[in-house]
Amino acid sequence: MDQQKVKFSIVVSGAPYGSQSASTAYQFCASALLAGHEISGVFFYQEGVLNASQLVSPATDEINLPDFWAALAVQYNFPLEVCVSASLRRGIVDPQEAQQLSLEQFNLKTPFVLSGLGQLAELSAACDRLVQF
Amino acid sequence: MIEKKVGIINRCLPHGSAQGRESLDLTLAMSAFNESLSLFFIGDGVYQLVDGHSPEETLQKHYQPLFKMLEMYDVENIYVCEASLQQRSLNSKMLLIDVTLLNTTALQQQLALQDQLLSF
Repeated sequence: MDQQKVKFSIVVSGAPYGSQSASTAYQFCASALLAGHEISGVFFYQEGVLNASQLVSPATDEINLPDFWAALAVQYNFPLEVCVSASLRRGIVDPQEAQQLSLEQFNLKTPFVLSGLGQLAELSAACDRLVQF
Repeated sequence: MIEKKVGIINRCLPHGSAQGRESLDLTLAMSAFNESLSLFFIGDGVYQLVDGHSPEETLQKHYQPLFKMLEMYDVENIYVCEASLQQRSLNSKMLLIDVTLLNTTALQQQLALQDQLLSF
């Protein structure tokens, strides 16, 4: 079993709503983990950074993808890295950036973290397979 | 550990979406960590390398000059689909930077050599 274990790094480029990219990425991660594989980390880029908003509030009979990501990452202990430059352009802000930029609010959801594209390079180097959604 | 060969595929027009710009941002940032990057320009993606755009008129940043940074960042494997250029009545002299033109077969071979691909 151990020999077949694959380490995946994931790139999410789509928003939590409006395209299927992020939902499919989530399902891929959940299935891979259930099958005994490992997720080294998920990197959110482009519209994907919107998955990290704590303000996403769909109707109660719909799924809240940011909640799903957060729960999966905590359960299996892998990082949710969010590209900082893509985030700031799209209004995803953590407390430090809010303070630095003199913004009144922040909205980055726990346990997502803002990080640089260097983190993607690290995830790319650390995995057996890099999968982009 | 041998460095992974990462291919970055560009297939979108330079305008209408931020795909091209965010792909170039990613390339320049990753080049600091990985010296085995290759860029591919296929289909409408070839328009990204054509000079003479004025995106400020549509409130966008003019990111084309940043392509010249690739050389400084030692990103030298820049492959352009020759057929895509021909289909659009373009040629390599019209491009901002020096590139390697590949026919379809050579393009497939070069893509197959990559360990990882990111597509924009």
